[in-house]
Amino acid sequence: MNGELCRHCLLPVRRGGYAREVNGEPSIFCCYGCALAFQVRHGQGEEAEAVGLLIRLGVGGFLSMNIMLFSLLIYTGTLELEDPLVVHAIHWLLWALGTAVMIVLGGPFLVQAWRALREGRLIADSLISLGAVAAYGYSTLEVWNGGDGIYFDTATMVLVLFTLGRYLEAAGRARAARSLAPLLAAERAEANVVGDGADQRRPVIELAPGSIVRVRPGERVPVDGIVIEGASQCDEAILTGEPKPRIKTAGTPIYAGSLNGTGQLLVRMTAAGQATRWGEISAYVRRALARSSRLERLVDRVAAAFVPAVVVLAVGVVVFWSQRLSFEQALMIGLAVLVVACPCALGLAAPLATGQAIWHAIERGVLVRGGQVLESLARVRTVAFDKTGTLTQGVARLEGVHVTGAISRNEILRRAGAVALGSEHAFAAATVEAAQARRLSLEPATGVRAYPGEGAIGTRGPTRIAVGSAALLVGRLGWICPPDLVVAAQKSAADGLSLVYVGWNARVYGVLVFVSDVAKVAKPMLQALARQGISVALLSGDRPEATRHVAEDLGIEAWQGGLSAQDKVVALSALEKRGPVAMVGDGLNDGPALASATVSVAVGGATDLARETADIALPAEGLGELPEVIALARRTRRTITGNIAWAFGYNFLALAAASTGLLQPVLAAALMAGSSLFVLLRTIARNARQGRIQVLQPITESLPKARLAR
Amino acid sequence: MTDLIPYLAVFAGGFVGSVHCVGMCGGFACALCASRDRSLWRRQLLYNLGRVSTYVFLGGLAGLAGGWIVHEGAGWGSAPQRLLAVVSGTLLIVIALQFFGYRLSARLGRAAIVTDSLAAGLRSVARNPRLSAPLALGALNGFLPCPLVYAFAVQAAATAAVLPGMALMGAFGLGTFPAMLFMGFGGALLGPRFKQAQVAGALLLVLGVITLARAMLPAPVHGGHV
Repeated sequence: MNGELCRHCLLPVRRGGYAREVNGEPSIFCCYGCALAFQVRHGQGEEAEAVGLLIRLGVGGFLSMNIMLFSLLIYTGTLELEDPLVVHAIHWLLWALGTAVMIVLGGPFLVQAWRALREGRLIADSLISLGAVAAYGYSTLEVWNGGDGIYFDTATMVLVLFTLGRYLEAAGRARAARSLAPLLAAERAEANVVGDGADQRRPVIELAPGSIVRVRPGERVPVDGIVIEGASQCDEAILTGEPKPRIKTAGTPIYAGSLNGTGQLLVRMTAAGQATRWGEISAYVRRALARSSRLERLVDRVAAAFVPAVVVLAVGVVVFWSQRLSFEQALMIGLAVLVVACPCALGLAAPLATGQAIWHAIERGVLVRGGQVLESLARVRTVAFDKTGTLTQGVARLEGVHVTGAISRNEILRRAGAVALGSEHAFAAATVEAAQARRLSLEPATGVRAYPGEGAIGTRGPTRIAVGSAALLVGRLGWICPPDLVVAAQKSAADGLSLVYVGWNARVYGVLVFVSDVAKVAKPMLQALARQGISVALLSGDRPEATRHVAEDLGIEAWQGGLSAQDKVVALSALEKRGPVAMVGDGLNDGPALASATVSVAVGGATDLARETADIALPAEGLGELPEVIALARRTRRTITGNIAWAFGYNFLALAAASTGLLQPVLAAALMAGSSLFVLLRTIARNARQGRIQVLQPITESLPKARLAR
Repeated sequence: MTDLIPYLAVFAGGFVGSVHCVGMCGGFACALCASRDRSLWRRQLLYNLGRVSTYVFLGGLAGLAGGWIVHEGAGWGSAPQRLLAVVSGTLLIVIALQFFGYRLSARLGRAAIVTDSLAAGLRSVARNPRLSAPLALGALNGFLPCPLVYAFAVQAAATAAVLPGMALMGAFGLGTFPAMLFMGFGGALLGPRFKQAQVAGALLLVLGVITLARAMLPAPVHGGHV
């Protein structure tokens, strides 16, 4: 440390000192004050919110301090004032200062309270307004009449404390919202447009595709496009949940919302604003935040009833005590009652915690539809899983084809592929892929009709082709299945493989054998759920043998196979008897089931419709996120209920103490500010980021355990 | 006249200590001058008015608190008053040592969140063009943790009464006035100021030692006043 200077005041720092990182550079300072002052002058952070409040606080504080000083002098008898003219003059001075404070600090509260009153509502601002006006009014009367009961110092200190509380609330909320800001800013983003001469900064909605945009290091990419010049790395976590940076060079696509690394890039824009994935997520999050949950609505109702109740209490208290003490003293007790009540904690508790939780989920690529979802998820006792595409990888593999007679395997594939081209099912995709791997040309079948959970029937030329389960071909259509195929199929079935029958002209000619590997993350994820005390069920439309195979593999005891979409709904309502149920699926043949569950969870490979309408949408390969999201939901719920419990407890005790005259108004105001601050800090601290988790690290058995052990 | 000597000493202490003030709070004054120059005088005066006002307020509170600790009429020489003087003298010595480069290291950890928000808030206030901004900045600035202010605040507490406490801190504030105004107009720091820092440190050291000594020595030596 020898020979180092404080970066701010340039005084030497020989030993000790104060190290802080400012603007990314480690710096040394001689004291906290210098560190702070340096940050104030040179820090490149975001603009502070509520600066107006802070200025008011400073000016109001300045005025109040002067009032306090004079009041202190009088109170301690320091100024031996026998001359009544001097006393009177000082009182008028206090009045002048007090009026200034009422305007500067009291103004905003009064304005808000008046607006609410015109709508027939009483809000928290009404309480402080009433109290401050009462104390100020009474003191003004006293000054006018030459009396002694001057309480400007009390009224102004109360206003200062309230404003301080408001500022801290606003700053805290702004801080929490700041992390969400980039996500909500898609449409309002601006880009540096390259043209003749210097770059112009313009809003992205004004730009047309083809515009050239310069993305500077550290900037958030404002548009979708192709890189035409430059090299850098981009963090696309906001879009995919994957924090691994992607290399971007000429020719690579780049996505709006991702964070640029250290290189500068020139991008030819292809899309911006709402047309980008970033824009979609932004809109989604905005809607999610706007949806209030049941709990929030309840809290709002309680808060709305609370304020009038406090006013009534205050009036009653004044009446009561004025019969036993002087009116002044009764007034002060009433003021304390008005001021100590803290409905803010109630209103603050839920939205802040919920917003943060939704943000944390987004950072992992998990989309949560609203606060109510988190609430319900926290209470979930059972999670039901679909099999194909959910617990098993969305990608199926064709393992073999059983044929009969002279029909070739390629012929089976050609015909099955014709019908499969129109389907989103994992088996259909695997069929098409296998056909293409054999370089078979596929002619799409016409008039394809899908039977959810069973298969599909289409026409190619004169032939009617059916692809699906035995229930479809043999059961529903009544086609004949040759015995050698039956035997071969049974053997594969006993191995737990999935079968798809292919037939035409009223005969079954082949059986496609598929294997869907169980997702690697499934087992650790299920173990994590078990540790969270959640029971698991497997509901599948696939054959019972295949389902049993997977269930045994994963250690799931409650499983049912061969379920139709309707059957799944029935199974879910049976599970609901034990408590709220979450259903995890891909929307292919479990749409109704997803809709009927308390919480619907769409996996990464789900249909677009499922992802749009599900309560929770996991990212691609994101099945392992489920326990984390549940833990997040539980933590949030505990925070909210804790805050509410505090709010009730505090208000009850504080109002009781104030009503019995135990609290001075200034002390009451300090307590109230302290209570708001406590709720705020508690919420922020509990939901503070606990460190990034690599979602797509090589997934090992131990990964989910490691996460939950935090 | 002799009654004023203690206050003059404090004034000198403030003046001398301004070296530190300039270093730390000069930054704020500078940030103010970044705005339009036409109203620079007004802004600087308002800023310092706010600052000194806060100091006086702290002094009054300190004096009040001191009055509780030291019973009325106990006069100079009572144990609590000596204790306050000891604390004050020690703080002054600590600051003096800081000027020579010896610091107590500090760790902030979680409170860093507060610093960031506070710094951002103050930065925005400093840049705000309204005239109320410098006044607000000054008033808030006065509350920032500054060992020099605390040292003199403890001395104010030692006076054990509101008015002397106010006067003492007012003297301190006025002592910092010239340097702060200079910073506000001058702007740039003129390079490392080892020499000035050491002189200032030495003077503060002397002041601290004297305060300590008076705390330890028996009462009749003083003549009955702070």
